[in-house]
Amino acid sequence: MLLLVTTLLGSSCKKSLEEHPYTAFTTDYYKSADGLQAAVNAVYANMRYDFGPVGALALGNVGTDEFTFGDQVASSGQFLELGTYQIPTTNGAILTPWNRNYNGINLCNAILKFAPGVAMSDATRNVMMAEARYLRAHLYLLLVENFGAVPVDLGSGDLQFTDVPYYGFNRLPFNDILKKDYQAMIADLTYASHNLPVQRPSNAFKLSQAAALHLLSKVYLFRAYSVVKESTDFGSAYTTAMELINNKGKYGADLLQDFGQVHKQGNDYNKEILYSVERLPLNNSANEDLNPSTDFANKVNIANNLFNCLYQNVASVGGVTLIDDRPLQYGRPLRELAPTPYVSNVAFADKFNDSRYDNSFRVMWRVATVRTGVALQTYVSNLASVGFKIGDTAIYLPPTEARAAQLVAAGKKYLIVPPSKWYNNQTKLSFQYPNLKKYDDSLRANFQDVSGRPFIVSKLSEVYLTAAEAAMQAGHPADAATLINVLRTRAAYRPGLSAADLSARVAAMQVSQSQITLDFILDERTRELCGECIRWPDLAIRNKLIDRVKKYNPDGVGHVAVFNNIRPIPQDQINSVVDPNGDPNRNKYQNPGYY
Amino acid sequence: MLLSMSLISLALFAQSRKIDGSVLDEKGNPLIGAAVKLKSGKIATLTDINGKFSINVSGNETALLVTYIGYTEQTVPLTGQNSNLQIKLTPSSHSLNDVIVIGYGTARKKDVTGSIVSVSGNTLREVPVANIQQALQGRAAGVEVQAVGTRPGADAQIRIRGERSIQAGNDPLFVLDGIPYSGTLNDINPDDIASVDILKDASATAIYGSRGANGVILITTKRGAAGDTKVTFSDYYGISSVTSKYKVYNADQYRALRDISVFNQGYTADELAGIASGRNTDWQDLVYKNGYITDHNLTISGGSDKSQFSAGGGYFKQTTVLPGQDFTRGTLKATADFNVSSRVKAGFNNLLNYSITHGSQFPANVFPLITLSPLSSPYNADGSINIKPAGNTDDYNTTYSPLLLRSQPNASVDRVRRFHSFSSLYGEVRIIDGLKYRLNAGLDFQQEEGAQFQGTDSYFRPGTYNTATVNNATATKYSLDNLLTYDKTIAQKHRISVTALFGFEQQQSHNTSVRKDSITSDFVQFYNLGLSSTTPAPILSGGESKSSLVAMMLRANYIYDDKYMITLTGRRDGSSRLGEGNKYKSYPAISAGWTISNEKFMQSVPVISNLKLRAGFGITANQGIAAYSTLGGLSSVNSSIPGTPQVLYNYGTTVVNGYYVSRIVDPKLDWEYTKTTNIGLDYGILNNRITGSVEYYTASTTKLLYGISLPPTSGITDPYLTNVGNVTNKGMEFSISSQNITSDHGGFTWGTDLNFYFNRNKLVSLNGSITQVVSNQLFVGQPLSAIYDYKKLGIWQLSEAAEAAKYGFVPGQIKLEDHNGDGKLTVDDKYVIGNAQAKIQGGMTNRFTYKGFDFSFVLYGRLGGTLISQVYQPLAGYTTINDGRRNQVAVDYWTPTNPTNFYPSPNVAGGQISSPLTSDAGSTLGYFDASFLKVRTITFGYSLGKRWAKKIGAQNLRVYVSSQNPFIFFSPYVRAGGIDPEATGIGNQGVQNPGNISSRALTIGVATPSTKSFIAGLNISL
Repeated sequence: MLLLVTTLLGSSCKKSLEEHPYTAFTTDYYKSADGLQAAVNAVYANMRYDFGPVGALALGNVGTDEFTFGDQVASSGQFLELGTYQIPTTNGAILTPWNRNYNGINLCNAILKFAPGVAMSDATRNVMMAEARYLRAHLYLLLVENFGAVPVDLGSGDLQFTDVPYYGFNRLPFNDILKKDYQAMIADLTYASHNLPVQRPSNAFKLSQAAALHLLSKVYLFRAYSVVKESTDFGSAYTTAMELINNKGKYGADLLQDFGQVHKQGNDYNKEILYSVERLPLNNSANEDLNPSTDFANKVNIANNLFNCLYQNVASVGGVTLIDDRPLQYGRPLRELAPTPYVSNVAFADKFNDSRYDNSFRVMWRVATVRTGVALQTYVSNLASVGFKIGDTAIYLPPTEARAAQLVAAGKKYLIVPPSKWYNNQTKLSFQYPNLKKYDDSLRANFQDVSGRPFIVSKLSEVYLTAAEAAMQAGHPADAATLINVLRTRAAYRPGLSAADLSARVAAMQVSQSQITLDFILDERTRELCGECIRWPDLAIRNKLIDRVKKYNPDGVGHVAVFNNIRPIPQDQINSVVDPNGDPNRNKYQNPGYY
Repeated sequence: MLLSMSLISLALFAQSRKIDGSVLDEKGNPLIGAAVKLKSGKIATLTDINGKFSINVSGNETALLVTYIGYTEQTVPLTGQNSNLQIKLTPSSHSLNDVIVIGYGTARKKDVTGSIVSVSGNTLREVPVANIQQALQGRAAGVEVQAVGTRPGADAQIRIRGERSIQAGNDPLFVLDGIPYSGTLNDINPDDIASVDILKDASATAIYGSRGANGVILITTKRGAAGDTKVTFSDYYGISSVTSKYKVYNADQYRALRDISVFNQGYTADELAGIASGRNTDWQDLVYKNGYITDHNLTISGGSDKSQFSAGGGYFKQTTVLPGQDFTRGTLKATADFNVSSRVKAGFNNLLNYSITHGSQFPANVFPLITLSPLSSPYNADGSINIKPAGNTDDYNTTYSPLLLRSQPNASVDRVRRFHSFSSLYGEVRIIDGLKYRLNAGLDFQQEEGAQFQGTDSYFRPGTYNTATVNNATATKYSLDNLLTYDKTIAQKHRISVTALFGFEQQQSHNTSVRKDSITSDFVQFYNLGLSSTTPAPILSGGESKSSLVAMMLRANYIYDDKYMITLTGRRDGSSRLGEGNKYKSYPAISAGWTISNEKFMQSVPVISNLKLRAGFGITANQGIAAYSTLGGLSSVNSSIPGTPQVLYNYGTTVVNGYYVSRIVDPKLDWEYTKTTNIGLDYGILNNRITGSVEYYTASTTKLLYGISLPPTSGITDPYLTNVGNVTNKGMEFSISSQNITSDHGGFTWGTDLNFYFNRNKLVSLNGSITQVVSNQLFVGQPLSAIYDYKKLGIWQLSEAAEAAKYGFVPGQIKLEDHNGDGKLTVDDKYVIGNAQAKIQGGMTNRFTYKGFDFSFVLYGRLGGTLISQVYQPLAGYTTINDGRRNQVAVDYWTPTNPTNFYPSPNVAGGQISSPLTSDAGSTLGYFDASFLKVRTITFGYSLGKRWAKKIGAQNLRVYVSSQNPFIFFSPYVRAGGIDPEATGIGNQGVQNPGNISSRALTIGVATPSTKSFIAGLNISL
C-alpha cells in the first residue's frame, strides 16, 4: 500500500524538487549583450575600490615624502604601520587592492571569454573588449606597483577566466611572473589604445584611447625601472606619451589655462582629465554607499575627509568659538594624512610664482557653520558680540614665520599658526597643518559624509611628466625641459593677473635642461600631482622611496629599508594558499623582509 | 453524560455487574477526571467532580486500570468488592509508564531505546521568561543553552551534544505538535507547553532524516481532557534592574587617565566647569530605569469522551533598563479533538501569535553611557538636556546625549511586528485492530514587518536628515504527513509496532525592503515613504527562497517480554536544495534495549527497581544548505550581507547596474552526515525514588559543509561552499532525580534534579592537507570554538626593559609569548590559546514542600573554557582603549608605580599598547576563564488547601514570589570587573573586528546589561 502511494506520488514529487529561483543568475547571463554590459559595468564599479576608500588613500600617500599620518591615527592602525614602515602582514590597507582587484581581473577574463560568442555588432564588441583589457591592465598595474610579481594565471591558465576552485598562488619565480605581468599589461593597453573610442564623452568617463595611451606610456616607464626592463622601454614610453600630447585635439584632451580649475568641484568633467572613477553627488545607492557618514572602506570616496586637520573648536575669541561644528566645505576633520615639511619647504619653496600651492592647499578657514534657524541666529549674535561675522578669517596658516609675526603684531584676533608650529608627529605643537583641498566636496547631505565626486585617475598633465621623464632617461633632456615648461608656464597663471605680471612669473618658472634630474621630476610631480594617491608607487617603482623618505619624512626614517619598495603579501592570502606539491613553506610566496 | 454512557454500556453487556468507587490522590483528595478502564480495554469512564466513578464490568473481567496525568497507572484487581472501591494513586513524576513523545508517535518510557530526555511544562515554568530556551538552561543533560542577547525577547542558542557543523547550522529541529516548526521560539507561549521531549541520538532522530543531526526538540502543547470544564488563570508581574552597572572611571579616575594619556586636546569648557564644581556625572544612573516583566494567561478546557477542547490566550510583556527596548506578545490557542466514531478520530490545533519587539534593530545605546565624560553636565543651567555633552571635539557633533532617548521617544522608532499562525489538523482511522492511518496536515503563515525611523538631528542622526526603513517578509509553509501504524501483541510476550510515513512539505519566503532618507517631516516616520524628497534615492532590496522536501520513513519496533527491545528505522528524504540527480539520501538507524531489572536473577536485588541498558547507532544529516546553493554564481550586490548595496555605476549621470562573479557552485553539494553511537543506562533505585540515566556517545560528522575562502588571487570573492572535513563529538551525560525526603500527608518533602555533562568537540580534518584556516578560526585537532591569538603573559615591567627592547617593546606594553622562539614577536607567534568549550557543565533544581508551601531554586553552572569579552578588547569596542579621548570601563592599568599585569599603560610609546608588528595584540586583553555558577531562579510559593480554595470557588490557588538571576556565585570574569559571564551575542560585536572571532563564537559585547528581576505571581484553576 505504502509502495503504491510512493510510486504514485513519486512522479509528481520529482517536479516539486526542481528549483526555479527568481533571483539567481549564472554565467550564462554573460552570453547575452545585456549580461556582458553588466559585467563591464561591474568592472568599472570595481575600480571604486582602488580610488577613494581609506585603504587606497593610505597606500597611495602615507609614508611618502609628501604625506605622513596625522594626529588622529597616532597610536595604532594601518596609517601608523605604513607611515613608520613597521608593516605587519595583517595591515589593513594592503587588503584593499589585494582582496578586490583579482575579482575584477577575473571578470575581465570572463568578458573576453564570452564576448566573441555574444550576438552584437563587432564595433560594440570591440569597444567592450577594449574596455575590459584597459581595466584588466589597470587592475594589474595597481597590484604590481604595490606587491611586485602577481599571478597572471588565476587557476585556469594565463589570463583565462577561472570558475573552478583554485588554491594555488602562481607568483613563482618572481621575475618570470613579473615579466609576464608587464607583457600582459602592455598587450592589453596596446589593444585598448587601438580599439577604444578615440575620445571620451564630454560629460562622462567612459574609457578612451587617450586614457589607454596615458596608462601605456606609464607602464613602459615603470617597466624601464624594473628588473625585467627592455632597452626600448623609455623610448616606447616617450613615443606613446607624445602620440597623445601631439594629437591632443584628436583625442579630446587639453590642459586647462588655470591649474586651479582642474580639481574644482563642479568642473569634474574638464578636458584635462582623461579618466575618473565616477560617483554621483548625493546619490548613495549609485555610489554603492548606503552609510556615507560611517563607511570608510568598500567603495566610498573619503578623500574629502582624510586630509583635513583639526579646525573645529580651536579658534576662539573672547570665549566665542569661531568654528565649532563641521561646515560642509571643510569636511570631517579626520586628520589621517598630514603633509611633511618637504611639501611646503622644498617642493613649494616658491609659493608666489607657482600657483599650484595655493590651488592645492587650504591655509585659511573662514567662520562658518552648518547651523540653521534659531541656532544660526544665536551663533551670529554671539559672533557679533566679539566683532566677528560669518565669512571672516578664523584660522590662518601663513607661509612664513615673518608673515605670522606680522599678523600677530597687527593684533589679528583669529588663530594664526606659524609654519614652525604646524602639526607633526615629532613635536605636536598644534593640530593644524595645510590641508590638501583637491578633493573638497561641499555638496553632501551631512558634514560627516564621504564624497560623491568622481575621483581623478589620470590627467593630461601627467602625460607631459611621463614624456619628460622618458625623454630625460632616453637621453634627450632638452625635450624634457620643453615639456615641463609647458606645465610650469601654465602653473604661473592666476586669474586676474596683469599680462606683465603673468609674463614675469612665467619667466621665473622656466627651467633649463641642465636642471632636469630624476629628483627634479619627482619634485615637479609633487607640485603638479600632490596627494593624488600615486606618490608611493611613483617613489617605489623608481627606487627613490628609501632615499626620499629618509630625506623628507621624519616618521619613516627609523625603519624604512630596501625591502619596503614592495608591500607584504597579506597574511590571509598566505594562510589560504595550498601548495600543489604539499610544500609547507608558505614564506616562499611572501615578499622578502616580511617574514 | 456519564449516565447516558453507563446506560449504553448496560445495554451492551447484559450479564455485567456495576462497580463504583472513588479515585483519590496521595493526600486523600478526590481526583477529578481520572480515567477508569477495563483491563480488556473495552470500556472506560471518568471520575466525576467528587472523584467518583461507576462502571459496568462483564463477568470475566479481571481488573481495572486507573490512570491520571502525573500519577502512576494503577491496576486494581477485581476481587469481588463491587462498591465503594477506594483507589489511591501515587504521583509519578518519574514513572516508567509515562508516555513520551518520540516523533511520529509516542512510546512508553520503558520501551524507549534511543536517548531522549523529557522536561515537563511545569518544570519549564519554574523559570518565568519570554521563551523556552532560557527556561531549558541547565535542565537537561546534553542540552546546552547559552544566552546570545540581553534585550527583551532575545534569543538563546541551543546545542544538543555540541557543535558539529562549521556553517551549516547547529540549531536543533523543532517539532511542534508533530509538525516541523519554522518560526522563532518567541512565537510560542511557554504557558501553552505541556512537555518538551528532546531527542539526542541518531537512533531517536533518524526518523527526521536530513534534519535530525542536531537533535530534535519535540514540543507538545496542552490539549483539552475529558471532564468538567476547567478554567486556569496564571499571572505574574515583576520588576527588573541591572545585574550590575558597567564599572567606569569616576571623575577623578578619568582625569588621572586623561592627564597621562596621549590625548592632549585639553578639557572642554563644560568639563572645566565640571572640574571646578566637583562634578561626577554617572551617565548610567541617569539613563537606566527599572524594567518590568508581566505575563497573563487564561485557558478554558474540558470535554467529554466524544470531544475535548481547549482555548486560551496569553499576554506577555518585558521591558528593560534602557529606553526603547521591549517585547510584547499576545497569543491565542485553540485545540479540539473529536472521536467521530469508534474508528475515526480527528482534531486540530491552532496557535496564533502576534508580537511587537522594540529596539532590536538599532545599535545598542550603551556606548555613550560608558564613554561620555563624567565631567560633562547632563543638563543645562535652565534644566534642559545638554544635547552635546561629549568631552572631545571629535565626538562633539556626533554624540548626542542618551537622555534624548527618553525625552524624544518619537525621534527613534524601532519596531518589529510579527504575526504567526500555526495550524495543524489530523484525522485518524482505525482500519483493523492495531492498524491505523493518520494524516497530519500543517499550515504555517508568518508575516513580519520591521520598521525603523531615525528623526532629523536626533540621537541617532546628529546634525543630519532623517531616515526610515521598512522590511516586509512573508513565509508560508505547508506539510502533509501520511502515517500508517500497526501495533500487535502476539502471544502476550511479543509486541510489534510499525510506523510508516510518506510526507511532503514545501516552504517559501519572500521579503521586500525599502530604505528612504529625507522624509518630509519627522512625524510621518516610516508610515509613508513617499512623503519624502527625491534625493537621496530610495534603496530597495528583496529576496525569495523556496524549498521542498519529500520524505519516506519506516520504523519497526519489537519487544519481547518487556525485556528485550529493538528498533529499526529507515528514512529517505528528497530535497530540492540538492543538485539534479543528487536529491535523495537515506538515513538508517538501529537501537536495542535490555531491561536487566526484568530478568529473574535481578529479582533478588530489590533495591534496584529499574535497570535498563540501551545502545543505538544511526546516521542523520543536517539540512544546512540554503535554497539555490547549487545554482547561480553571479551577484548584483556587493556582498552576501543583507542590506549591502547593489552593484551600480554611473557614466556621467547615467546609472547602470553590474553583475560580477561572486562564487563558484558545487553541483554535487551534499548534506553533512552524522553517525552517532549511543550507549545509555537507565536506573531506578529504592522503588524508583532515585532515578536517572548515564549516557555515553560518540558522533562523527563527515562531509562537513564549508565555504572555503579561496585565496583572493583565485578571482572569486565569496567562499566556495563544498563538503570537506570531519568533526567528532564525544561526551557523557549524567542525570539523577531523587526524592530525598518524602511524606505522605503534606509533611516536608525535598526533591532534587541534577544533571551534568561534558562534550568534547574536535575538528578532525579539513580540506585535503589543510591543517588550519586562520581566517575562519579552524584548526585541525582543536574544537570548533578554538581561539587563535598571541598568548598574553602579562605586562612588561620596568625590570624587564632590556628583554622587552629585544622584541621592540617597552615596559607598560603587553608582554606576549614568543611562541615559535625565533626571538621576534610577529603574527607567527599566534597559536591556539584556548577554546570556548566547558570542561563540564550542568544544572540542579531543588524543590521543597511543606504543607501548602513550596520552595525551589535552579542552579546553572559551567566549568572551564575561555570567554571572549570585547568590552576589554581595546579596539573592538573602544571601551577600554584608554586613549583619554573618552571615559572607559575601569581597568587596572599599568603605570610605573602600579606594576600590574592586567592591563597595559595608556601612555607609553605614544599610547601603543603593543609593538607595531603585533599591533593586533589588543585582542588578548579580552580573554577570561568562562567558568561560573549562577542561581537562575529562586521561588517561594504557597498553595491554598483544597478546602479553602473551594470556599472561594477555586480548585487550586497558588501564589508565589520569585527572583530571577539573583546571584552569580562564582565567575572569574565578574571578579575581573565584568557584569555577566554569559554571552550577549554571536560573532564580532565590536566596532573594529579583532579579526580572530569566527561568526560562530559567542561573545560579550557592549550590550544592554543583563538584568535580575523580582516577580510575584498567582495561579488559579476553577
